[in-house]
Amino acid sequence: MSNNFTEERKKAWQGFKPGNWSETIDTRDFIQQNYEPYTGTDSFLAEPTENTKLLWNKVSEMIQDEVRNKTVTVDLSRFSGIDKFDAGYIDKDKELIVGLQTDKPMKRMMNPYGGFRMVKGSLKAYNLEIDPKMEEHFTEFRKTHNDGVFDAYTDEMRTVRSVGLLTGLPDAYGRGRIIGDYRRVTLYGIDYLIQERIQDKKNLTGDATEDVIRKREEFSEQIRALQAMKSMAAKYGFDIGRPAYNAQEAIQWLYFGYLAAIKENNGAAMSLGKNTTFLDIYIQRDLDNGTLNEKEAQELIDQFVIKLRMVRHLRTPEYDELFAGDPTWVTESIGGMGEDGRTLVTKTAFRFLHTLTNLDTSPEPNMTVLWSNDLPRGFKDYCAKMSIQTDSIQYENDDLLRPIYGDDCAIACCVSAMQVGKQMQFFGARANLGKALLYALNGCIDEIKKDKQGNLIQVFDDIEKNTEEILTYDKVVADFKKVMDKLANIYVNTMNTIHYMHDKYAYEAGQMALHDPEVHPFMAFGIAGISIVADSLSAIKYAKVRPIRDENGITVDFEIEGDFPKFGNDDDRVDSIAQNVSQYFMDALRKTPAYRNAEHTLSLLTITSNVTYGKKTGATPDGRKKGEPFAPGANPMHGRDESGALASLNSVAKLKYQGCCQDGISNTFSIIPSSLGKNSEERVNNLVNILDGYFKQDAFHINVNVLERALLIDAMNHPEKYPNLTIRVSGYAVRFNQLDREQQEDVIARTFHESL
Amino acid sequence: MNKQDHQITGRLHSIESMGLVDGPGIRTIFFLQGCPLRCLYCHNPDTQNPEGGKIVTPSDILKLAKRYKPYQGDDGGVTFSGGEPLIHGEFLAESVKLLKENDFNICIDTSGYGQKKYYKEIFPYVDTILLDIKAFSEQAYLDMCSVQQKPLNDFMNELENYGFHGQIWVRHVMVPGYTDNKKSMQELIKTIEPIQHLVERLEILPYHTMGIDKYKELNMPYLLENVEPMDKEKAKEFEVYANVLLAEQMSKDRIDLKEKQDVGSSALESNVSLEEHNKIIGSFSNLPLLQHINSDILADIQHNLVVKKLEKDEILFQSGDDPNYMYIIYAGAIKIFNILPNLKEQIFYIYRKDSFVGGHNLLSDSKYWYTGEALMDSIVIAIPAKIFNTYFANKKSVLKEILSQSFERIRWAEDLINRLATINSSVKTAGLILRLAENFGIKKNDQIQIPMKFDRAEMSNFSGLTRDSLTRKLGEFEELGYIRIENEILTILNFDALESYLD
Repeated sequence: MSNNFTEERKKAWQGFKPGNWSETIDTRDFIQQNYEPYTGTDSFLAEPTENTKLLWNKVSEMIQDEVRNKTVTVDLSRFSGIDKFDAGYIDKDKELIVGLQTDKPMKRMMNPYGGFRMVKGSLKAYNLEIDPKMEEHFTEFRKTHNDGVFDAYTDEMRTVRSVGLLTGLPDAYGRGRIIGDYRRVTLYGIDYLIQERIQDKKNLTGDATEDVIRKREEFSEQIRALQAMKSMAAKYGFDIGRPAYNAQEAIQWLYFGYLAAIKENNGAAMSLGKNTTFLDIYIQRDLDNGTLNEKEAQELIDQFVIKLRMVRHLRTPEYDELFAGDPTWVTESIGGMGEDGRTLVTKTAFRFLHTLTNLDTSPEPNMTVLWSNDLPRGFKDYCAKMSIQTDSIQYENDDLLRPIYGDDCAIACCVSAMQVGKQMQFFGARANLGKALLYALNGCIDEIKKDKQGNLIQVFDDIEKNTEEILTYDKVVADFKKVMDKLANIYVNTMNTIHYMHDKYAYEAGQMALHDPEVHPFMAFGIAGISIVADSLSAIKYAKVRPIRDENGITVDFEIEGDFPKFGNDDDRVDSIAQNVSQYFMDALRKTPAYRNAEHTLSLLTITSNVTYGKKTGATPDGRKKGEPFAPGANPMHGRDESGALASLNSVAKLKYQGCCQDGISNTFSIIPSSLGKNSEERVNNLVNILDGYFKQDAFHINVNVLERALLIDAMNHPEKYPNLTIRVSGYAVRFNQLDREQQEDVIARTFHESL
Repeated sequence: MNKQDHQITGRLHSIESMGLVDGPGIRTIFFLQGCPLRCLYCHNPDTQNPEGGKIVTPSDILKLAKRYKPYQGDDGGVTFSGGEPLIHGEFLAESVKLLKENDFNICIDTSGYGQKKYYKEIFPYVDTILLDIKAFSEQAYLDMCSVQQKPLNDFMNELENYGFHGQIWVRHVMVPGYTDNKKSMQELIKTIEPIQHLVERLEILPYHTMGIDKYKELNMPYLLENVEPMDKEKAKEFEVYANVLLAEQMSKDRIDLKEKQDVGSSALESNVSLEEHNKIIGSFSNLPLLQHINSDILADIQHNLVVKKLEKDEILFQSGDDPNYMYIIYAGAIKIFNILPNLKEQIFYIYRKDSFVGGHNLLSDSKYWYTGEALMDSIVIAIPAKIFNTYFANKKSVLKEILSQSFERIRWAEDLINRLATINSSVKTAGLILRLAENFGIKKNDQIQIPMKFDRAEMSNFSGLTRDSLTRKLGEFEELGYIRIENEILTILNFDALESYLD
């Protein structure tokens, strides 16, 4: 370590209360020892500075350009990497926080490590071409994650993928959903992190088993990644070898850590973690010693957020179909309560959300409030107010998270929780259980897809076609369980294959360097179509469902006689079906061991892929027609909740988080302003009460939109009038103009709660 | 009758689990089936038929309501709407009782027509009535709703006799061509005069046409076919107008009431025979208050004391009077009260035999700010100020007695404060704003601005309102254009309107 080490630490940590954090890497301890909870209102917040406004106007114009012209710029001269690009600026003199993914704003990188086809496909979609020499060399000398996966996929894995039983698997692009503890760069500086990792590697003694060899190799890669980070920051004129000295550096250092992650990886979700409480300590220290004022503090946060809004990856049109609107899930988790009962809300939590006012609304960063019944009222009110004004906030139940993950956990992507720097997840998209239910009726022959010769595709064996004239509940459920058993087994095995290859060919060395040496992995599975399955089984149980079959005995439609309880009305008869199905599938998944001894978890989340899933799924026994969209996430099907919004929320709240859907249960709630209350004060109050009531019942997540349906219709027809209109969809926010027509219509058709 | 015949049931049309505009806060709305009115604009014609709906028991209602309790915050709860909920008298009585036992806030959305004989079992449990005033004359009622107006007037007049001590939200659906004029608003305010002191909110709901499709489904003719929806902005203007009228009317009535009571204060004269006077004064020395007063003194002063017989309801002294006497109640009872801004009589104390009143005022030479009135035929002994000051004010025993009585009265007052928490929240909110203006207000461009140094929780404690009610009221005042809250500054835009709530 350099001679300056002690001096640098002394300067960086001046005024901080020491603790375990000053002896070893322990960011949480640093926070706990030093932060100041804030229980007041939003009255202290400052307006944007002139420089911020100028910068944002410039960036905003570039973003609008992309959206309007549907074009992108790409650096065709090199591939992605932490330290592969020269420094880039928007307007150097005005920027307080610097750093871009490439040398120019909005210019995207080619990241071929997940799969070269993805790069080629994306370039083709925008009429761009890579230098043939580069392609030749890369494909000749470098194997990708995608190549590896397809080398090891079985025929059955390929089949479940191509019929759309498993969709959105990260087998051709970066898996994402890993959150580096970027705060470590700020608090300790890169040099110390390198030194520690060298020591970790030395501690790895014993026989060179596969496991140990892999770890040693990963540690070496991590050390190189840390060195690359330092070199990248040096191009901007900063020495992040040492810890940060003040608030500006604190944010800058942290951002360099994150920037390295998004230069290195193109994961679907590249989330930021939980940083506002941490950063507040630095800001408060500067405010206290008079080197910063509130306006300047806000300016730093505003400028940081401008950078976060500029994160770009090169995607294919097929990818955009699944995850509409070019999302990057720069998810920042805000608020929550500490294990000692003090709130983790600080003034910087307000400052971060305040960027939605200072810089217009925006889908990114993905503002995620960790809601606890015990949050200070001033913060609750402010969140509700901002939700009503911007439709840009999602909420997750901190009172459910804390007992499982502790108080230093963050959300990756939409709803996936993990302890920052200590846990990670192997992302696994989702299984289409609506289709799986049809397999139980059709002897596992796909109801839509034919092979190249036009033959039926038999996906699993040993399950007989259902020949009942009127479907009986017990028979259908018994067959459905058999399908789920088979599906669960192949799902885990497919995921194991994907993540083995991802570690091998597209390892996230930079992000993993900002974790503990021992990391607990989750393997996150998912279900699409839970409400369809619950309603279908309810129809079979409580009404008469007569299948209409084609000449092959495959169901093409259903006749339903009589009424049946529907998910979304707080009716235990059907809500229990949804609970039981998700629990059964979770238990089935656990029967197959996961790669690296990962802990199996499950989500009810579709993002915008509910439209795509619907397209690929035949008519279902609940009365949904072939090709019609599913409800997003765990939402009830639209138009079927007849007892108002809270009944719908109550149904979703019954789905179990801990031990069952522990990778998250997503619910999107849209309401028109006049129904939420007579005036703005009342609306804020009512929304706070709704959130309190919902989360008190152990519900996990909610997206809140407060807007008029008519406004969306107008925005669909006149996009130019609403350049920044942002709405929450399943698990993220999206610029409405970036959804395609079909997705826009789906959003508009969904239940908007209104009362006359 | 067998057991099943005792089962009390009602007919439930449907539930709205998130009612945010039908009563304070977040409410579970039970729409009961059946309505005696046939309003031309009815947007729930499917609830009119008394035979439809699902049969439910009060315990079914409780079970459903409990599912939504976590959302209800400070002042949310349950609303019974319809149809007309009051036609399910027995069922409603049982349901509201059961809900109240389980601590639900209860609201009834009614037109005032129903089964009267159950009202005394219903209204003591009701916190808020949403009272729908359809029209303002017998003829208009017949034309619009096919019923007479008289039952509604009776309902309003009798409401407090049914044991109702909650608040009322008056609502009127404004249909273009019918009541969208100032004259109608004046009639509306006149119509609700009997209940005006209970009115917490007055809403003009613009007529809309969203219910028309239901008529087609039900194969019913729709008689307002050619009427356009009411313009929302215009309806809002009429709403503001009506609210100002209401505040003015209430203020005027308060002043009238005061004037009526002003009978002037003059010197008291004994109105009993000398024999009676002496007898009363003779027994008077046994009072604990006078134990340490020398009997010689008593003999000296006995002719300076006034013995007055009061008939029931006769006023002894009133608010604003100078302190001329200390009164000792010899027989009967005297109530001490004030008229509150909402026209309600607020009784502070009732004094019975041997208690006294007025000693504090004499000691501090402060005017009465309340009125004393005989609750029944009574006799009081009045000790003139001069006598009191000469012979009583310097006696420890007298002072001690007055002090210990003070202590008791403070206890009373504390208890009263709790009870007072039930008065009209408009008045409390207006009062709060004016009090803040007095203490923290800054005059700026002819407007008074109050920097909001308090958060809502502190303000609500200060005003004796729940946080949610205060927030709701501030929002409503903002909507009515009385105030504006921006950047944590409250600006008073219509000082007179706020003052009119208080005088």
